[in-house]
Amino acid sequence: MATMAEPVGPMRPNIASADVQLPAIKTFEQVDEEIANTLKPTKAWFLGLMVAVGCMLLGASAWTFQVYAGLGNAGYVPPVMWGVYIITFVFWVGIGHAGTLISAILYLFRAGFRTTIYRASEAMTVFAVMTAGLFPIIHIGRPWKFFWLIPYPNWRLLWPNFKSPLVWDVFAISTYLTISTTFLYIGLIPDIAVIRDREKNPTRKFILSILSLGWKNTDREWRHFTRAYLFLAAFSTPLVLSVHSVVSFDFAMALTPGWHATIFPPYFVAGAIFSGFAMVWTILIPIRKWWKLEHYVTLNHLDATAKVVLFTSLVVGCAYLVEFWVAWYSGVKPEQDYFFNRVFGEWWWAAWIMLICNMVLPLSLFSQKLRRNTAWLFILSIFINIGMWFERFVIVVPSLSHEFEPWQWTTYVPSWIDMSFLVGSFGWFFMWFLLFIKQLPVMAIIEVKEIVPARRAAAGQGGHH
Amino acid sequence: MPGLVANFRELDRTVSAVKELQRRKLGNLTVYSPTIHHELEDAIEAPPSPVRRFTLIGGLCGVTMGYWMAIWTSDYWPLVVGGKAVASWIPYTIIGFEMMVMVGALSTVFGMFITSRIPKLVVDVAFDPRYTNGDYGIFVDCPPEKEKDAEGLFRQHGATEVRHAR
Repeated sequence: MATMAEPVGPMRPNIASADVQLPAIKTFEQVDEEIANTLKPTKAWFLGLMVAVGCMLLGASAWTFQVYAGLGNAGYVPPVMWGVYIITFVFWVGIGHAGTLISAILYLFRAGFRTTIYRASEAMTVFAVMTAGLFPIIHIGRPWKFFWLIPYPNWRLLWPNFKSPLVWDVFAISTYLTISTTFLYIGLIPDIAVIRDREKNPTRKFILSILSLGWKNTDREWRHFTRAYLFLAAFSTPLVLSVHSVVSFDFAMALTPGWHATIFPPYFVAGAIFSGFAMVWTILIPIRKWWKLEHYVTLNHLDATAKVVLFTSLVVGCAYLVEFWVAWYSGVKPEQDYFFNRVFGEWWWAAWIMLICNMVLPLSLFSQKLRRNTAWLFILSIFINIGMWFERFVIVVPSLSHEFEPWQWTTYVPSWIDMSFLVGSFGWFFMWFLLFIKQLPVMAIIEVKEIVPARRAAAGQGGHH
Repeated sequence: MPGLVANFRELDRTVSAVKELQRRKLGNLTVYSPTIHHELEDAIEAPPSPVRRFTLIGGLCGVTMGYWMAIWTSDYWPLVVGGKAVASWIPYTIIGFEMMVMVGALSTVFGMFITSRIPKLVVDVAFDPRYTNGDYGIFVDCPPEKEKDAEGLFRQHGATEVRHAR
């Protein structure tokens, strides 16, 4: 897959082997043992799962109430008909970006630091997109009509408008969810086979046998697997960039002040990678600490991810400033008013949270000392995620509440239902993630083994004996 | 198919045994390895994987389907807006692209399943759970008269265990 133990010919790209990247990992057996260890439940895991399920139930209760009492309870005030639901939808789609970026794009670029972090990131992607997918369904108010989103001839013989960004969204998100899930599962098959062959419980062994599809590590399987994995990565790479571009079209295709900008697709994609990497820290830093996997996700790996975060923060910060400049230079009054209001108007606090969390705090990553300080990275990841949620808030709410006509101007206060959904979405996401890490390997066993020097009989060739 | 299966602990011994078996043409080989090793791939000298054809055909079908669906439905149930094309290929490129990725990727997976012969519903007699852990295995489906030669070759190359698989 990603790498090889030793270069064979000049045509084969290679990355540093484990004796350089992961010096504390010596044998294949050690890899199996230590990664399989993460499948044993701990008290912290049970506690985390209880909190996640509790939050999820709060969201589920709010949804039940909303279905019963109607969408009017959601805090919408015309013309602010996109509130927390759409903000949170865009937030979770953004979180879902880093996983495929790490697993596909960094795979094609042969970035060595992806080997031990990509599985958790891929799982994060799938669950984040699953979470995002709930919000359009919640937002339509009558969730049982969700299939109207799918293009098929309805009772009026009128198909959805394929020129609408909302229909593009349906295609983009459903393709992204399908391909991310497929990519995750295909990469997991050989690892499930490893777990299957270690399993003692007959029921679990049976389930794992089915999930592993009878995988046996034969040369035929590896040959076709590596090709398929490469092509899936090649497909996923433009998909990563397209999905958040399409999501940004939801805004950019509208004439609303603050939205109608050609900078939106690259700005959204950079923001998505930025927030996604922050969420990778939020989940991986505790995992490496709790399961003592510091020698797998090393400080060098975290340092490399911090550089990506710093770079994307600079891109996002530049986009924020360019937006202000374009508004001034355009000479369009509503556009200028919107951007003035963004930082000095009713929602000034949201905009400043966004600017401080996304532009100012990440500048600390210019310091190598802080890039290698896991406590700081964890704290920063929380700030970045807060900042990125507020970025979407700043895009959605001030624009809609302050459109062209002054008589339309209004305010927006999220209701308890909105906030319950927001909390519930975190509960839903973490519930799935915690269940995942207890059932399936959170690191790619096969890819780690690929960089561990193989056992050799010939003296002086390295490897383990 | 009956044959002999040998267990190896080391990669270099496995590679040299595979090369020798290929040279002496004792039978078809199946090599088991705990992860991907390009040395083994080179020794086996397998042809390129045909998965790429599934990818190409799937991708082309997907992009065609995406454009076709959007254009045909726009013409059949037109949403007429003055001065605008009923079917416009520029926005439909998004549908075409997404369908290309979706169908192309799924057909790649389908191709991988077909060519790798998974899901496997029959028991593989040569397989040993050690091959997913850290050991290597070579199965050769040689005729009975060549079994002795094959066994000697395996032993000579440092096999830790040689057994009949039927």
